[in-house]
Amino acid sequence: MAFAENHINTDVPEKDVFALHFLQTLSNLSTQNPFSSPDKKSDRVKKIKKAAYVSMARAAGCTDRLWSRALLQRAAKRNNKIVRFPRRRKRVTWLRRRSNRRDPVEEAAAERLRNLVPGGGEMKTSKLMEETAHYIKCLSMQVKVMQCLVDGLSPK
Amino acid sequence: MDLSGRFGVRSGGGLLFREETALESLHLGGGDEFRQMVPPENGGGFTALLELPPTQAVELLHSSSSSSSQATSLHTLGVLAFPSNSVLMERAARFSVIATENQQTGNVSGETPTTTSSVPSNEHIKTEPAETETSDQAAVEKQNNRCGKRKDFDKKAKGSSKKNKSSEENEKLPYVHVRARRGQATDSHSLAERARREKINARMKLLQELVPGCDKIQGTALVLDEIINHVQSLQRQVEMLSMRLASVNPRIDFNLDTILSSENGSLMDGNFNGAAMQLAWPHQVMETEQSYHHRQLQQPPPQQWPFDGLNQPVWGREEDQDHGNDHNSLMVGSASLHPNQVKMEL
Repeated sequence: MAFAENHINTDVPEKDVFALHFLQTLSNLSTQNPFSSPDKKSDRVKKIKKAAYVSMARAAGCTDRLWSRALLQRAAKRNNKIVRFPRRRKRVTWLRRRSNRRDPVEEAAAERLRNLVPGGGEMKTSKLMEETAHYIKCLSMQVKVMQCLVDGLSPK
Repeated sequence: MDLSGRFGVRSGGGLLFREETALESLHLGGGDEFRQMVPPENGGGFTALLELPPTQAVELLHSSSSSSSQATSLHTLGVLAFPSNSVLMERAARFSVIATENQQTGNVSGETPTTTSSVPSNEHIKTEPAETETSDQAAVEKQNNRCGKRKDFDKKAKGSSKKNKSSEENEKLPYVHVRARRGQATDSHSLAERARREKINARMKLLQELVPGCDKIQGTALVLDEIINHVQSLQRQVEMLSMRLASVNPRIDFNLDTILSSENGSLMDGNFNGAAMQLAWPHQVMETEQSYHHRQLQQPPPQQWPFDGLNQPVWGREEDQDHGNDHNSLMVGSASLHPNQVKMEL
């Protein structure tokens, strides 16, 4: 439906927004551990990866999207304590008795998608798809930024 | 108050998501009198219409049915046998607006017979069948139902889910008006389910356009698989790139100045096109950093940065490599200067 496009807003900011956020997060990273540079590469990798996701969530609009909120929440929680939210299933309502409502094939795929997209455990399927679209856009933007950064920094 | 002759007019496209626009569409052709007489101060024309006593609403319909040529749809509705229920009166008033909407698609003839049958039979959902799957259908789909008249608790419970739907699609209306196609069941549950499925299909289409190579696949299951694969591949790419970044820069010692200076190519890639590129010269770094901070979310004009002739051949050379990706070419162009910078800082 062409009409649907009118109201589903999946705009992401420009690349420079992502780049700026990523760099800021990375510089924060370095200032956090000024003296103790982790020797292990895996730690560094994890930190960078986390910085990438967090900066992406921020750049995409912190609170505008469910996935970004969930991501930031998860990241913040990890610093303090390890908490996993149990997945709330909003779909378990009295509507369940209508068995033909849920297409089993689609639901299985939606389940996998929920595992992938942060914050996906609590969304209805339509909302999940919207979030997925935005998430995909942001991810590709972030990948581009990181690719350019790597290309720029790698020694010729 | 005499609203005759003004009620029948509307032309305005597929608006009708809000009550104000509904009202405007009502009197678009009719001029401002209508607007003045029924000012949408309480949020829309429908509530104003609701305040009309039922008799006046009916009179409105009948009078308008005899007016302009565009009121043929209204005429068909005027012929309908409206029960004297005030609730249905208001609904009928709304139907006329719906009908006027349908005027656009010209698909009005099918309305009458099924409307009569559906109106008395289905109090809860306004079903206007025989509508094409154009955007208009979706437009009309978003007609609002007066929530105050809901008697069915079933509907109310579903209405809350519909509220969510409509709240995202239609900021003012609490309910989604679903239009059933001709020959399909008008059961409230199946209608809601159909609406939900249509929503999901709409979003699936969106996703299909996003993911490369998905439009050729038939079947939602495969498309979904493809989407999931795409998301997974993107996440893996992020991981790979973060690993590369970690290896490239052994100390996570990102000096913001240098990074920004090197990133200016990427940051301005929208404006770039061979225009002045930011050079990673130290004396310009501070300026660019400040200026960049000032213009974080805007497109920075590159012209204010001096153009170094040295860069030009470098860039020209690099651009050949990757035309498809401006961004990368820019970065590569600046990269030749940048590593020097990085070494200095490190």
